[in-house]
Amino acid sequence: MRLRLYLHFALWCALFAAFVWISAPIVGPAIMENRVGPIEANASIDTYLRALTGIEHGSERIPDIFRHLGKEGVLVIFVRDENAPSEFLGMLIGYVSWPREVRVIKATEATVEKEVADIKPGSVAGFVFCSVDSPNWLEKRVRLGSDIILVPVTEAAP
Amino acid sequence: MIVLGLFTALFTIVIAGLGVTMSISARAGRINVIDCACLSWLFGSGIVSLLLWIGGMFCSGAVLQSAVTITCLALGVLGWRAKQRANASFTLPRPTDVVEWVLGGIVLAEIAVLLFVSFKHTLGWDGLLNWEIKARYAFLNGGVIPVSYYSSAGRAFSHPEYPLGIPFTELWLYLWMGEPHQFWAKIIFPLFYAACALLLALLVSRLSGKRWAGLLIAALLPFVPSITASLSGIVVGYVDVPLSVFYLAAVGYLLWWVRTNDSRLLMIFAACSALLPWIKSEGIILWAALVLLGLGLSFSKHRVAQFLISMGPGLSVIVGWRLYLKLVHVWPSSDFARPSLSLLRENAGRLHDIFRILFTELSETFHWSIFWLVAAVAVIYLIASRKLEKLVLAGAVVLPVIFYTLIYMFSTWPSYTAHMTSSVPRLLLHVMPAAWLAIGLALSQVKPQTERV
Repeated sequence: MRLRLYLHFALWCALFAAFVWISAPIVGPAIMENRVGPIEANASIDTYLRALTGIEHGSERIPDIFRHLGKEGVLVIFVRDENAPSEFLGMLIGYVSWPREVRVIKATEATVEKEVADIKPGSVAGFVFCSVDSPNWLEKRVRLGSDIILVPVTEAAP
Repeated sequence: MIVLGLFTALFTIVIAGLGVTMSISARAGRINVIDCACLSWLFGSGIVSLLLWIGGMFCSGAVLQSAVTITCLALGVLGWRAKQRANASFTLPRPTDVVEWVLGGIVLAEIAVLLFVSFKHTLGWDGLLNWEIKARYAFLNGGVIPVSYYSSAGRAFSHPEYPLGIPFTELWLYLWMGEPHQFWAKIIFPLFYAACALLLALLVSRLSGKRWAGLLIAALLPFVPSITASLSGIVVGYVDVPLSVFYLAAVGYLLWWVRTNDSRLLMIFAACSALLPWIKSEGIILWAALVLLGLGLSFSKHRVAQFLISMGPGLSVIVGWRLYLKLVHVWPSSDFARPSLSLLRENAGRLHDIFRILFTELSETFHWSIFWLVAAVAVIYLIASRKLEKLVLAGAVVLPVIFYTLIYMFSTWPSYTAHMTSSVPRLLLHVMPAAWLAIGLALSQVKPQTERV
């Protein structure tokens, strides 16, 4: 009976020791990485926008730019298909452009021209290209940051 | 002012939860402070988010905030009066020897470290774009999510159909802080971790009769990389850890109810299980697993009627939320097809790949170390014990994993394997604290000494 008890505790000690032995090198560095802050309201979204586009305080600056677009109309956001950073950037643009209606379209370099051509201009306030090259024939292209281009279709009344 | 608002929001959450906890626990005569603190946070977040959702159908802005605050305070007063009437007193279980002091100290230190660490990271992809986004949009609209959000095809990426338990807890903080502050909103996640660690210590101690075992298990909890270091842990603001805490509490109090036949424990189970589908859609699967296991337990103990009544709150939350989504014409989710037998037969060929991915994930040391190996040993121990209570606990670990695995039979993604690979690590997190409970019970073999805890 006593032997069984010893075996029982030996088994669990071995399991827990192995568990901690393997975990510690993963958990330890994860705890040490990064620093606290900045203590800002839009800390998360600004960090992502800065990393993906180089735009500082993007959560404020990007909506400010979108305010110059026509009040009505959808913002069409093109993202590169099968490209996680591009899709994530497109979603971030969708996030900060609230309450404007958005439409996210996954496209490739080969299909983007056709996708743009198929859209009825009357329903659109602007196009945003996230890590996708905009068609050359589109005019008034505004580079907002690296990997992000805005093409206004309608503009807000002065 | 922001920090003052933050503390007021947290205070009202805890007061509401404390009121409900005391109302339930007062008749026992003694209220365990740790028990009470953990349940106060869990119930408080559930109550506040439900009140904001329901209240938001009738009012918004300062009226909504005031109504929810008054209700929270009223619940606190009612709970306090119930405690006074029952002449109940608070008790704090103290460590009795050096081992317990050391382990208790480690658990508290780990909570402090994770509280600090969670402020070092930004919200993750889902934390920001599935959960916090709802809190922000509601804040910008006076505390109510605009109906247009639910039906917006362009924002379908943020899963408008997901329930509001965590987003509206964040919203409550925003309303009191006066701005949608992503940095401070993250404070709720380490608080859920703290509730998880302390509940784990308490439940293992109670069910095994060994406090050192409970404290040891709680001390080992943060060594699971998925909870601390991975992309879906508490530091990135995902709802999977909070959901897992509700599941742990529901499982623990269900087992404790069966052992003691104390109806107050069944009420706590009912409340915790009801909040599962309110935290995440997958909570319905966890709730269903608990219903199956609870029915089996209560049938063998001849307490089926009591148990059936306890399913009522969960059913109300599930039906209420589904009905609401229909009313607001939510944009249909496209991740899974409606389950049917014909589809199941059609996709039966996926089983091989699905279980292969599951086992690959379970053995992924970067996410789990050897946690699932330890859990498997515990499940074998529990099954070998041939005691119904322990079999049910083993079922509470295994059943959701099987259910979660099988849902990929209905995945509509072009690549169901990619769907599973990207989401199954998060789903396994839901069961992880309950698996620790199983490990704790398997570890302790001697006769329970429940009076100590």
